[in-house]
Amino acid sequence: MRRPVQTLLLTLTGIGLLHTTLFTDIYLRYVKAGLRPLLIVSGAVLLLLGLASAALGDGQGQTYDDDHGREPTPDHGHDHSGAPRVAWLLFLPALSLLFYAPPALGAYTAARSNAKPVSMPKRGFAPLPATSPLPLTLTDFTRRVQQDRTLAIRNRAVRLTGFVTPAEDADGWYLTRIIFTCCAADSQTVKVRVYGTEAPPADTWLAVTGTWHPRGALGTVTAEAALDVTDARPVAQPVNAFTDDLPLTPS
Amino acid sequence: MEKTDEMVGVAESAAVVSVEPPVRRIRPWPHGAVLAIAAGAVAVLLLAGTRWLNQPAVQAWRTVCLAITVQALPFLLLGTALSGAINAFVPAELFTRVLPRRAALAVPVAGVAGAVLPGCECASVPVANSLIRRGVTPAAAFAFLLSAPAVNPVVLTATAVAFPGNPAMVAARLLASLATAAVMGWLWLWLGKERWLRPQPRHGHTGHRHGSSRWNEFRLGFQHDFLHAGGFLVLGAMAAATFNVAVPRSVLDTFSGSPWLSVPFLAGLAVLLAVCSEADAFVAASLAGFSPTARLAFMVVGPMVDLKLIALQAGTFGRAFAWRFSTATTVTAVAASVLIGGALL
Repeated sequence: MRRPVQTLLLTLTGIGLLHTTLFTDIYLRYVKAGLRPLLIVSGAVLLLLGLASAALGDGQGQTYDDDHGREPTPDHGHDHSGAPRVAWLLFLPALSLLFYAPPALGAYTAARSNAKPVSMPKRGFAPLPATSPLPLTLTDFTRRVQQDRTLAIRNRAVRLTGFVTPAEDADGWYLTRIIFTCCAADSQTVKVRVYGTEAPPADTWLAVTGTWHPRGALGTVTAEAALDVTDARPVAQPVNAFTDDLPLTPS
Repeated sequence: MEKTDEMVGVAESAAVVSVEPPVRRIRPWPHGAVLAIAAGAVAVLLLAGTRWLNQPAVQAWRTVCLAITVQALPFLLLGTALSGAINAFVPAELFTRVLPRRAALAVPVAGVAGAVLPGCECASVPVANSLIRRGVTPAAAFAFLLSAPAVNPVVLTATAVAFPGNPAMVAARLLASLATAAVMGWLWLWLGKERWLRPQPRHGHTGHRHGSSRWNEFRLGFQHDFLHAGGFLVLGAMAAATFNVAVPRSVLDTFSGSPWLSVPFLAGLAVLLAVCSEADAFVAASLAGFSPTARLAFMVVGPMVDLKLIALQAGTFGRAFAWRFSTATTVTAVAASVLIGGALL
């Protein structure tokens, strides 16, 4: 790879990272929010490296960047010719970040994964607040339905937020959240089955209000994490779409 | 761009000719052809491909691939910056002074020293490479390479968070990772052959060169290592994303029943999924149907062998090395997980 191309590649990657992290929220589609400072630093370092490469060259007046022909042994030459060329692949993420960012994971991924098993809360269940409808995360709702022996969730109106994933059979659909621990490659899915309304188009973000759909024995694992919906209204995708928290909607 | 390229090309051949005998390899792929193919591919994509690119599966693939790359870039930069700094600023005698003279002793010391490199596995490959360039015995450098992503405080804390109330899992992960790293180092001393390693390219930036500024050396080494490793990172991310999207998670749980099959199965899954070592504990915790030993194997193999690491190692040390080393490491790591997991979990 020639020097001007290297300079271009470093600069583009740097700008791409800065663009997604500093000026937009696009990076949240791919990685957890905590990585933002690291990504900004990385973008700045790459940009500086590109600028330095453009301004200073190799500082020697001697060719260094293109390795071809420097080591005349044949086996060595082979390895080397492959090495710099693989760097061309870095153009794909750089250009993709800048011009054609892929969308966040959605119904396609959620439909193909099993629901994440919910863990037992460490200190038992606190009494539910009196608010009605009560905002809960999908995980909290599942936990209350399947593990809370006090059956506090019975007959309570709750509000859950997530996106629509069509069910494999026609009976109802799923309200889903995809949760990252680190990046989209380790995504896990939380699903709550929804009954009582027509399935909206896949990937629509909704805030639904309803009560537990009685199936199985409440407070045990036989209870289905499901909701009889009385009201479903579209919402903007939350800023923290990929965490296991109550939604923060963009203001 | 064509024009600039040509001018640089001319200047370069002149410089090369003046320094070295005029041997010039014929490039199997002239740059013009590469450019033409790239332009053709872009045109085809623009004309016919946009609808294809918007298929949900392709979109999910692009998202996962980009996510792995973006997530790993800061750690790769850290690793290449460290390796550039070691090359340019740290005198070679330092390592020979600090590490025990006997290679067999240096291996476990280097393995434990892995705890000081915070971050995930992408950082450790360039650092290990620069250690070898600086005269550290390869066996010790490999022990460091294997242990660093698994035994540092960041990863161990994440493991403790992912398995609340189960400190035995953290201890088992630490011990099994250190054991695997040490055994692999000793195995290299016993059976390893230098010729499997790609001969180290003697770039201008390797070591201190008379008459050039150390900062410039650092910058050039950093740039070269980053571009090189970054390319292989993208390659590995593509492979891992392909598996991630092509095989739905729901299929995985069908393997959880058999206790003997589940260990090699989760070990293989760790290789294919290429989850970052800081996150793999959470993925392991979510694989609830599997035995604790199988989940331990997932966390011990993952930081040491996975698709993007194999690509990175093949790029850095050569293919002959990468496949032998990865196979042996997988077997050793599974054995260590079974023994230590059986004793502790």
